[in-house]
Amino acid sequence: MTQQKVAIIGAGPAGLQSAISLAEMGFLVQLFEKEKQPGGHLAHWHVLFPDRQPANEVLDALMISAMNPNISLITGAEISAIEPSGRKWQLKKAETLICEVDAVLLASGFKLFDAAQKEEYGYGIYPAVVTSSELEALFMHQKPWPFNENLESPKIGLVHCVGSRDAKCGNLYCSKVCCVTAVKQAIELKKTFPAAQVYSFYMDMRMFGLGYEELYHQAQMEYRVQFIRGRLSEASPADGQRIQVKAEDTLMGRPLKLTLDMLVLMVGMTPSVVLGNGSASVELKKPMFADGFVKMPGQALDDSRLQKPGLFVAGACKGPVTLPDVVKDAKATALDICNYLTEVL
Amino acid sequence: MSVRDFGYSVSDQRAVDLDRKMPDELERVYLQEPSLRNCIACGNCAALCSAGSFTGFQFYRLNVLVSRGLLSELAKKAEACMLCGKCQMACPRGVNIRHGIMLMAQL
Repeated sequence: MTQQKVAIIGAGPAGLQSAISLAEMGFLVQLFEKEKQPGGHLAHWHVLFPDRQPANEVLDALMISAMNPNISLITGAEISAIEPSGRKWQLKKAETLICEVDAVLLASGFKLFDAAQKEEYGYGIYPAVVTSSELEALFMHQKPWPFNENLESPKIGLVHCVGSRDAKCGNLYCSKVCCVTAVKQAIELKKTFPAAQVYSFYMDMRMFGLGYEELYHQAQMEYRVQFIRGRLSEASPADGQRIQVKAEDTLMGRPLKLTLDMLVLMVGMTPSVVLGNGSASVELKKPMFADGFVKMPGQALDDSRLQKPGLFVAGACKGPVTLPDVVKDAKATALDICNYLTEVL
Repeated sequence: MSVRDFGYSVSDQRAVDLDRKMPDELERVYLQEPSLRNCIACGNCAALCSAGSFTGFQFYRLNVLVSRGLLSELAKKAEACMLCGKCQMACPRGVNIRHGIMLMAQL
């Protein structure tokens, strides 16, 4: 009996974990990653909520498990279409055949919202306006802080829901992880600059996970982060490189203004790929305005299979999700793929 | 010199200016009752407040005034409280509201 083959598109946490599970079940896995390095967004993260576990610890553990003779990782490989060929599937890049496999798993993850689209926040115009993802790079000393590090008490603001819950951006959904990320980053900022004044501008604090509300509580009591209910309306230049922000303080019922040394935009998750579903083949297309994530037909009881037998989806390409949930989804999807391959044998 | 009446006046700035330094009196309120930082403005305290039914007294809004460094009116507003403590039994974040009110009323 020849070993059955599975192709996985995307070597972030979802792709890596599914590859590990499938390889351990005895399947041959070809893991395709369009970037030069595997790991997805996890590779660019400092510490993880809610326990502040170093992200590289998690990625290293995944990479060690992925060193399995059944897994071949192919980086710098972007797949553009999946086409049926009998009971098998062919992966193609433009017109070139890359491989033929028994099942395909799409694990292409998410893209961060492009903060420059919210022009009123001045991202890309004022150097003191950074994204939550860039803040992680700052924590890892990969670039200099956009203000004088010797400031006695830098003032830093975090804005929730940038590109989420915003019809103007085409995204009506909540990106789920940004609220707790903002709380985690506020705490990390206070640990880096103990005398800093940190303000968080929120609409709701969506602390849905175990340990999240506790972290929020800790940010209020121990780290004295100020939470202000109101969506930031605009950021404008103040003296030097500082930023003046305006918001409605909805608990006061009055407008509020504040000058900051750095403004952090909590950018949401957006789809990385849209499935073109014309004929028999499935094209992987670049998302357009308000395209949304990959929709799963099975809903509650089966959210890993597309309507075409042998095509599966795992992780954040289905919508905003936390890392532990991605890992669970990847393991569950690997089992679905195993069941499918056992049936078709 | 009398002020000439032009038939209009200039209103005070309504915006809360967070660039102003937090008054020392309010820093002391937090020091003496740290649990005030724990409020999430859910409104539970105000929903069951007996004084609030008649006076418009809302503890969580007073607490917002403290966190925004707005000292004036605080003491006068705090006087509406009857210190019955119903709010404190209901507060989901365990804020010591009565002590907070006592401190605010003394400002």
